[in-house]
Amino acid sequence: MNKFIVYTAIPLGIVSYLFCIPVLAAVSEYHIQLKDHLFFPSIITIPANQKVKLIIDNQDNTPEEFDSFSLNREKVIFANQKVTVFIGPLKPGEYTFFGEYNPNTARGTVVVEHQIREAPDAY
Amino acid sequence: MLINTVILFLRDALPILVLVVYLFAHLSPSKSWLLICHVTGAILVLLYINQIQTVSQWFDGIGIELSLWFFQFLVYLLALVLACGLTFFQFSNRHFMFWVAGLMVSLTIVANGSNFILYFDGYLNQSNAVQSMLLGTFLGLGICLSLAILLYFAVRWLKQRVGPRATLSLILIYVTGQLVNALPLLVQVDVIDASATAWSSQNLVSNEFEFGHLFNALFGYQASPSIAQVIVYVLAISIPLSISYWLKPNLSTHEGNK
Repeated sequence: MNKFIVYTAIPLGIVSYLFCIPVLAAVSEYHIQLKDHLFFPSIITIPANQKVKLIIDNQDNTPEEFDSFSLNREKVIFANQKVTVFIGPLKPGEYTFFGEYNPNTARGTVVVEHQIREAPDAY
Repeated sequence: MLINTVILFLRDALPILVLVVYLFAHLSPSKSWLLICHVTGAILVLLYINQIQTVSQWFDGIGIELSLWFFQFLVYLLALVLACGLTFFQFSNRHFMFWVAGLMVSLTIVANGSNFILYFDGYLNQSNAVQSMLLGTFLGLGICLSLAILLYFAVRWLKQRVGPRATLSLILIYVTGQLVNALPLLVQVDVIDASATAWSSQNLVSNEFEFGHLFNALFGYQASPSIAQVIVYVLAISIPLSISYWLKPNLSTHEGNK
């Protein structure tokens, strides 16, 4: 019985910690427009080691999928809808993203840098 | 678009085929089981897609991520039920095991197949993309079927050499990998926090290349897994295996292990 408790309580405790509701700290927002299968802006700069919120506004009449291998993010954005994707905390560098349905045109880069004090809207 | 279609098949169709191969090699069900699973999965995915815009608005816009993660979690639980039934209780009710296995396949088709429909629906709006899409479909399907057939023979050989515990372990590793793959969905909608990267093997096997997709389908390989993913992976495999070893059951010689 004790072994059973140990085998279940500890793992459950670890899993519960992982799934704890995140602390509601202020998260910087960055806006990206998707219009005519192009991301505007195509390059956004965010601070390193911080979680940020990307708000992607699909202004086309067709769906698109925000996809990024390096960011490990994949989100379908239906026509004329907005979605929110959280990224980070990220180390300094460049992380590319693209629209899976229009990969030749819908492309962008997230540039992660140190020492960005403010997080202005991206346009 | 051609390459994207091939990648889509490696990313979303291959995991479905891998699961079917593992279950087929372990349980040796009839071909009608295979047909029923896929038809059921196809119906469920069409229902899901039909309501996907509504689902996407659930819980402040995180409905799709939650539902996809939940499907993978259900598949993991069903795999545990399957392993328990075959290992501990020496289930003589094969039909129950086939139902469980069938449900696993159907849910996996829903989780992975929805991407297909959304993808093709997006491309069908572009008339100049149809030819590339069709070619990519044939290529992707051919690659996936070839891999599946090779994997089937490899798994059958393994089962004959090592026993049914080996194929059950493969199933457990597979469902754990898929469960861990779904964790970033919860991170991207802020249900759980992102944790630091445990390691990066991008230089060895990148997620974007063929072997990365293959290993991802087989055992949930990630070139840069987070610490949370590693912890969940280890726990999700070690706990059932530990319990199995602790109880030291006599593995039933159910149908297919001849």
